[in-house]
Amino acid sequence: MNGEQSRPTISPQVVYALGERPVFKIGDRVRVDKRLPVGHYRVPTYLRGKTGVVETVIEPVAVDNEQEGFGRNAGGRRHYYRIAVRLNAIWDAYKGSPRDCLYIEVFETWLERI
Amino acid sequence: MTATENLVKRLPNDIGGLSAEPIERIEHELEPWEKRCHALADVLDFRKIVNTEEKRCGVEALGSEMVGKLSYYERWIVAFANILFRKQLLSPEELARKMGEVEARWVQQSVEEPNGGD
Amino acid sequence: MADHHHDHEHDHAEISHNARPQYYEVMETAIRELLVEKKMIAADEIRRQLEVLDSRTPALGAKVVARAWSDPAFKSRLLANGRSACEELGISFYDDTQLIVLENTEKIHNLIVCTLCSCYPRPVLGLPPDWYKLKPYRARAVIEPRAVLAEFGTIIPDDVEIRVSDSTAMVRFLVLPMRPAGSESFTEGELAALVTRDAMIGVIPVTIDSGSTQ
Repeated sequence: MNGEQSRPTISPQVVYALGERPVFKIGDRVRVDKRLPVGHYRVPTYLRGKTGVVETVIEPVAVDNEQEGFGRNAGGRRHYYRIAVRLNAIWDAYKGSPRDCLYIEVFETWLERI
Repeated sequence: MTATENLVKRLPNDIGGLSAEPIERIEHELEPWEKRCHALADVLDFRKIVNTEEKRCGVEALGSEMVGKLSYYERWIVAFANILFRKQLLSPEELARKMGEVEARWVQQSVEEPNGGD
Repeated sequence: MADHHHDHEHDHAEISHNARPQYYEVMETAIRELLVEKKMIAADEIRRQLEVLDSRTPALGAKVVARAWSDPAFKSRLLANGRSACEELGISFYDDTQLIVLENTEKIHNLIVCTLCSCYPRPVLGLPPDWYKLKPYRARAVIEPRAVLAEFGTIIPDDVEIRVSDSTAMVRFLVLPMRPAGSESFTEGELAALVTRDAMIGVIPVTIDSGSTQ
């Protein structure tokens, strides 16, 4: 430390709280889980199991909307990700350009990196 | 067996990708009560009494038949009643009595003002 | 009974006090009155929010679009953070939603839908039309956007990429349509008059002839 006056000292490494930092970044390929929630969900059935690419990381962290529907505002804050999924990957007989895409915000706990 | 599972697995509002008719560009000027209903939803959200997601959840919980047959704001107001009951902010009896009172008041006014009020 | 405001061009019939009140209107009135009696909300808050809602119309969105067309620096800020750019123009967001503005180009056409309910950028566009909230649009926009657009008279060539945004969380969307050819000399006000609600949803383009009827 003494010989490095010109560089700012970095104290003990900052540790981030669970869920504080985004797990995924722009460009990551992600797959949407296939789970089947009872009662309330905000991931449409048509999207389950589909693969897409992260286009935007929505900031700041926000409450899990599945939990929020039951009045629980505390806890469960993570990132939402706007992902792009090709329409011809969602629908078997999609008629249109192979470039056409669906964009949708998905809560972090629904996604895994592939 | 499959038929009833799908009622649970797929919420009545989860309609992306289902087949549907051509789009009719319908719009209507909101009835005053519908606008008041929308204002009520906003105020309940601002006051953190019922948030928007709770409202959505409440509408879903009405089930397929009501979701299919009630209009947009009709679904909202019934959902609000149920949510307020669940949160014990209102009771079914209170609401029923008040609805009776509101209706009686209207009937009374129409007797007093046979040509319409205001 | 709550006050309500009438900023409509046409005559608006009051709910007749002769007619038997509709069941759901009775429910709404009863719930509101009970909540006011219990001091959970105030009648004034409802009245105020009715005014807020009446003040939010597509004319606000049209102002944003016209400013973006006229001022490249504003447009960059708008595309970086839709909500704060709207706030620059005095368009407040009274809820917790964010706004992402999606720019249409020669190569990309954006379309907005909420398949699960009716999420819509209300602070900047007002209340959505019925068709946006009904099944045909919500079901079909994500599976056959080109057919849906064609029903609005909008044909998108195959070499143009369509991007359908399905709102599901706290982000709302506004389409920044392409500026129409022939509008180069228009003032910001004249530009705004061309921009319709449906163009900002993404179902139709803005043309020199389009008028702001909404």
